Amino acid sequence: MSSEKDAVATITGDHDLQALKKEAENTSLKLESITDGVNENGVPKVRFVEDITSFTNSFNPPASAELMIGAYSDLFGKFKTYEGSLAQKKQTFNAKIPEIEKSLKLVKFLKAKQDDDETLTTRYNLADMIFARAEISASGIVHLWLGANVMLEYTYDEAIELLSTKLEKAKKDLEVISENLSFVRNQIITSEVNISRIYNWDVRKKRQERMEADANKE
Amino acid sequence: MLTREEESEAEVRREDQENINKFGRLNARLHECREELAVLKKKIEQMDDASTELMMGTGDSVMLNLGNAFFELCEEEATEFCEEEVTRLQQQADKLEEEEEEILQEQKQLKSVLYGRFGKSINLEDS
Repeated sequence: MSSEKDAVATITGDHDLQALKKEAENTSLKLESITDGVNENGVPKVRFVEDITSFTNSFNPPASAELMIGAYSDLFGKFKTYEGSLAQKKQTFNAKIPEIEKSLKLVKFLKAKQDDDETLTTRYNLADMIFARAEISASGIVHLWLGANVMLEYTYDEAIELLSTKLEKAKKDLEVISENLSFVRNQIITSEVNISRIYNWDVRKKRQERMEADANKE
Repeated sequence: MLTREEESEAEVRREDQENINKFGRLNARLHECREELAVLKKKIEQMDDASTELMMGTGDSVMLNLGNAFFELCEEEATEFCEEEVTRLQQQADKLEEEEEEILQEQKQLKSVLYGRFGKSINLEDS
């Protein structure tokens, strides 16, 4: 990723920073010009540049390579931040789902024991690292902690249903986040490729101009 | 950096961009698969060790950790539980391994297409 910054630094070295600022104020290049609308979740879609020369000339005045690269780099930076936050959210979900699965397993286990009609001896968590012994009969009732200091009583079947629905929703949310993450990663790759292509195009153009200038001298 | 001769003159078309994006997506999914697979393999190993311990057990009641509490079970029930867990986890692991294979196949295909178009101008290797 530092290679993009190096590229921008080398280019802006040639092109005066003042001139760049002036150009930025006068140009018609805007965010809409380099994005293609948004996807279902409101994430902007990067516009793929088919032909760089015509893209440059579609702006009034014709945009310099520095300006275009700057615009795409900005967008790239924003996508990177968004990707970071999405990845974090995904981590949280990835941690939540095993918790719900554990509780679900426990209730199913209790339900199975209820048919046997035995008493169970358990060790339950009294405090961190301390367990107390208890004898319970599979009475058919469990209490579920719903968060916000609220605990509700459920029968085994109700509890299993509730936990299963919670698990389904968590898995669906995880899917949505994963999709968004893929989409954002695509946009990141597209912007990177656009930046590289504009840079290469610029290098080739300057090389050609230099060759023509040398040819004219002779 | 490439020399003048190694530079590829091929323009990046939209479908090339799509292919590159697809390759990136597959790569990300591949890493996730591999991570999940590693976690599953560890769990299976733990279950196997537990089963072995049970087999060598004294025949007394065994404590099973479910959620945050322990339940006293007799040895057969605990062994049964362990075996079911191992089968379930193994199924998940097999599915993931299949997915990993598929991803690698698709990537191989994309690599041949993209290297054909761009030669040295593109790098598709991991790390």
